[in-house]
Amino acid sequence: MPNDESKPLHDLLAEASINLDASATSRDDAIRQAGAGLMAVGAVDAAYVDAMIERENTVSTFMGEAVAIPHGTLAAKDWVTADALSMVRFPDGVDWDGNDVRLAFGIAAKGNGHIALLSQLATVLMDPDKAEALRNATTIDTVYQLLTPDPDSDETGE
Amino acid sequence: MPTKTVTVASSVGLHARPASLFAQAAAKVGLPVTLTSAVGKSVNAASILGVLSLGIGHGEQVTLSTEGDGAEAALESLAAVLNTDLDKE
Repeated sequence: MPNDESKPLHDLLAEASINLDASATSRDDAIRQAGAGLMAVGAVDAAYVDAMIERENTVSTFMGEAVAIPHGTLAAKDWVTADALSMVRFPDGVDWDGNDVRLAFGIAAKGNGHIALLSQLATVLMDPDKAEALRNATTIDTVYQLLTPDPDSDETGE
Repeated sequence: MPTKTVTVASSVGLHARPASLFAQAAAKVGLPVTLTSAVGKSVNAASILGVLSLGIGHGEQVTLSTEGDGAEAALESLAAVLNTDLDKE
């Protein structure tokens, strides 16, 4: 149905978009770092990063498991040139409107790409062991391994 | 168990913002609500991650179920949330 362009998460997350040892002074600073990860691979324009903050001011993208998934408003899809994911890890945490955030996944998606992308990411994070392992990941290999779907688990999102 | 099948009105599907608003509404009804996708996968409706993991697009059908005091009213109110285009700003 709408999930026709579903790419695996590890294909959407370039090494250049991963920062495993970051610190942020504020929520907006953290969002800008997640946005910078998307800009690093040319997936979005700077205007998209402003829209990520705008969206966050409307509704928090905090998802539980100390994870937030900042992304732009619908109108900002014009600033997206490719579907992509970025990942920033904050070992000391960031105060995210009262929630403690350790991981921010920046999301850029054209069309309906976000649905399959979010479904895959949420499926990984729903496993508390995997979520914890991601929060503690210090190598890019570990991240890719954790984001690769378990072949034994139910396939959804197709 | 009372159930209700609803078509998702949100133009972009149940993704971050609508999923978050829906999960918050489900948490507020005070009853354990289950959300089931058209392919039969069920999650806790009050879990944003659970709702997102279903990957529900615009126009797809989902089923809500719960039981207990006020179950019917709870389903009605949550169905109304899904019937609204939550991405309109």
